[in-house]
Amino acid sequence: MRTTPETRTDTDRNEGRDVTRWAVPAVALLAGLGYLVAGLLGDDPRFAWFGLGLMVVVGVAFLVLARFSETAAGLRDRNDERINQIDASATTFAGSTVLLVVIAMFMVEVARGQDGAPYSALGAVGGVAYVVALVWLRFRR
Amino acid sequence: MRDLRTVRGLSQAHLGQAVGVSRQTINSIETGKYLPSLPLALALARFFDTTVEEVFHEDHA
Repeated sequence: MRTTPETRTDTDRNEGRDVTRWAVPAVALLAGLGYLVAGLLGDDPRFAWFGLGLMVVVGVAFLVLARFSETAAGLRDRNDERINQIDASATTFAGSTVLLVVIAMFMVEVARGQDGAPYSALGAVGGVAYVVALVWLRFRR
Repeated sequence: MRDLRTVRGLSQAHLGQAVGVSRQTINSIETGKYLPSLPLALALARFFDTTVEEVFHEDHA
């Protein structure tokens, strides 16, 4: 049966939280493994192992920080609506900043007589992702 | 909301734990920096065994 917010049980919620609690360390570890594979494929073992080590440190540092900081704990537990809103706003700000930089760099590349790659593709991905999210969220809310 | 909490001798951390948010969030609500969602407002009202209007009208007056 499809669970909705109305039919979701406490067990469902707790299981969801258990998964969410490990999301940031898991993403850090996955990114580190990605760096490892990319570095080894690119014949740059120093980058590969440094990248993996750095991301493991980031993941562990987040777990340690979550024991002392209410904000970090909120980002880990995802129970606090205010922290979740702050996270969403910060994510929007970061995404907008990246998109602005991509657009600016696209213009710089075109002005230098280039075709704008790879910034044109990055900008297109950002635009399409926004429209898809807009339509998706429009039907969910 | 601060009055309702302090009359009961509760800390912000205790109240936050009771309704599932952080101490910082309770503080932000009490200082008017954060407007809680309807579910959180209802949870706070239920915790104090009163109405949403009673919990929040002092803060927004």
